[in-house]
Parts: sequence; C-alpha cells; structure tokens
Amino acid sequence: MKKIFPFGLLLILMLLMSSPAAADDFARLRDESANIKTIRARFIQKKFMKILSRPLVSDGKFYYAAPASFRWEYVAPVKSIALAYKGEVKKYSQSGGKMVEDQTGGARAMKIVLNDVLAWMSGHFDQNPAFAATLREGTYTEITLKPVGDNFAGLLEKIEIIVARKDRTIKSIKITENKNDYTLIEFKDVEVNQPVSDSVFQVI
Amino acid sequence: MKKLIPLLLAALLTVSCLRLPEIISSSQSAKNTAVCPAPFTKEKYRFVHAIEASIAGEAGGALIGVTIVDPTLRFVSCAIMTVEGLVLFQAESGKSLRVIKALHPFDSEEFAVNLIADIKLIFFAPAGELEKAGKTEAGATVCRYRQQDGRRVDVISDSRGNSEINLYSSWKNLKRRILLTPSGGSSYQRIELQARETVNYSLIMTLIEAQPIEGDTAQDESKSQE
Repeated sequence: MKKIFPFGLLLILMLLMSSPAAADDFARLRDESANIKTIRARFIQKKFMKILSRPLVSDGKFYYAAPASFRWEYVAPVKSIALAYKGEVKKYSQSGGKMVEDQTGGARAMKIVLNDVLAWMSGHFDQNPAFAATLREGTYTEITLKPVGDNFAGLLEKIEIIVARKDRTIKSIKITENKNDYTLIEFKDVEVNQPVSDSVFQVI
Repeated sequence: MKKLIPLLLAALLTVSCLRLPEIISSSQSAKNTAVCPAPFTKEKYRFVHAIEASIAGEAGGALIGVTIVDPTLRFVSCAIMTVEGLVLFQAESGKSLRVIKALHPFDSEEFAVNLIADIKLIFFAPAGELEKAGKTEAGATVCRYRQQDGRRVDVISDSRGNSEINLYSSWKNLKRRILLTPSGGSSYQRIELQARETVNYSLIMTLIEAQPIEGDTAQDESKSQE
C-alpha cells in the first residue's frame, strides 16, 4: 500500500529547515536552524496540471513554534487546517458548514510521518535516508530533495526550495509529482521569532 | 405500541422512497420529450469543485475534483486531489476507461468504474430511451429513461429550478440520488450525491470554477497525458 504523504507537513519541514540557511552547506544550515523559535507566514499555493487550463490557486497561513508545534491552514478555496501540538497531530476539514476532524487515512498518515518531521526539525535535513539532498548557491540558495529508491515512486519526483540569500527568508517551494503535475508554494510576509500564541496550535 | 407506530410509518416511508416511484402522466405527456428536464451541460466544460465526502456516515475529509466533460462524445476526464495538491486519482473515459493515476484507497477498479459512472450520471443526459414522462407525487416534472440493462434514470425538475437525478437498479431499488442546486447560471453550483452501495457514501460538491472548453477535448486530453 502506498502511503499518502501529507504535502502540508513536507512544506512545513522545508520552511523550517531552509529559512535559516545562510551558508552553502548543510552543517551550517543545521546549526542555524537552532536559532529559529517561531515562524509565521502567508502562502499562495498554485497547482499546475494538464487537466487544468490555469493553475488552481489556494491561499493560507502557516505558524510554527519550536520544538514541534505547527499550524498549516488553507483559507480558500477549501478550508482545511492541520495542527501539531505536544506530539499530537490533527487535521480538520470543512463538512456541513463546520470544521470536522478528519479521521481518514490522510490524517493518520500525518501522524506516522511526524517522526520524520521531528528529525528534520532538529536539523537533520540531509540525513533522512528517504531523500537525497543537494544545495546550490546562485542568485538564491536552492535546495533540492529527491526521493531515494522507490519510496515515493509515482508520487513525488523532487522538491525544490528557494531561499533568498539577502534576508534568508523562504521564497518558494516547488513539489514536482511528474512531468505534468507540480505544486508551487510562494511564501509572503514571513516573520521569524515573533510571538506566536500557543492557542494557535490548539484552536481551529 | 403507540410509540412504535410513528417509527414504523417512518420506516415504511423511507423504504417506499427507495423504490422506483409511480409517475403520474396523461396519455399526451407520457412520451413527450419536450417536457423533460435537461439540467445537463450541453457543451464541453471544465469544472472544479470542492468535495466534502462522507463514507458510511462519517466525514471523509475535503478534496478537490477537476472534471472535464464533453457531452457530444460522452467523454470524461477527471482528477481528485487533496487540498494540499496531491493528485490521488486521475482517469479518463471515452470509449474505454483509462486510469492514469490511482493511490490507495482510490486504486480499485470498482472505484474507477463507479466514479466515472457517477460523473456521467451527473453531467450527461441519460443514454436510455424515454419510458415515461409526467409528474411526481409532489408535482415536479419527471422523465424516466430505461437503459439497456434494465436500470432506470429519473430526471426531475421542481418549480424552483432544482433538479434531481435518481438511478434505480433493474430490481427497482434506488442506487443514486443526485440533487443539483443551480446558482449563478450553472446547474452545477452545488451537487449532492447519495450512493447506496455495500458501503453507502455521499458527496457534496461546491463549484469553485466552471469554464467552457474549445477544441477536441478527447484528443487534447489524451495527448496531454502522453
């Protein structure tokens, strides 16, 4: 059975790990990740597919607090919220006009992947055996993750993270499923180490 | 015993609603296709819907559905993805069904066949011949189509412009009930589908965008996936 990998979690991991990137090597990236206490940002997600004549655009909000709290929230066109707090992961979706906890396999898969999440949050960005990571410096810092073996065969081809060299804020994440389909997430108004209330990770 | 009577009545009413109902018609209206409701799309269209799924009465999470329909060729191309953008299922069906991508739990052949059948039921006029036209007990206009395999499709339209498409098995049991609530010029603003299978499920689909398509859809879509 193929596991449905929760892209939201993946994106959060990427953001956490690449925001502090100020060097051209992963060791320094790891060291600097320890300085990140909180992140809050908006995001615009564009889904590109051949079946769509124009990208499907979603927008949302993201919050993180060290060591393991996060909120990944889609505001439109479909409301959905993923929360992680004190080791518990929950996903909520709109149903019948109200937000209802998602008890399906997708939500359960998020919990399974949480161990990976925690490993990456502690700075082990290039040490996850599921991905081969490369870092390239140019106008931007570009990190590319490619699945190793057939862990994500038919599901994920690569992930590209673009970080601004000047202020080290994340610019975008591109998740390529195959040659026809990819998801581009652009971050706006990224704020690092600003106060984030605990309730953000508990209240939908 | 008195307390049981309303429950028994309710149960009887429920059962009767799940069986092929009578159509009230005069000899003049019985085969008159001109009176038949036709909420179906008449041209090639692309629809994007938010989907609220419920399986066996439990909320099944939010999904996004993309559907391309070509009523002339009875061609369907569709994709189901998570809110995060992960494509779970993609297929197309013209003369035959072609599954392009299917992740668990959307990877059974039965799922693909049923999904395409549901889409065709929602978007295309029934393929069978008109069996009877008339009124429902509630006074709505109804046309019944009999398909080659003995199944019936009732297409109903009420005075408020809402439409209902009901599929009955050859044993006259209700299999699908589809409610279309039009708004903003589209019949497909809100689609509610109730399916009666071994495991019942329901879908509420809310339109995100609708767009007419020009060109040869079937050919274009097949090429795009090569």
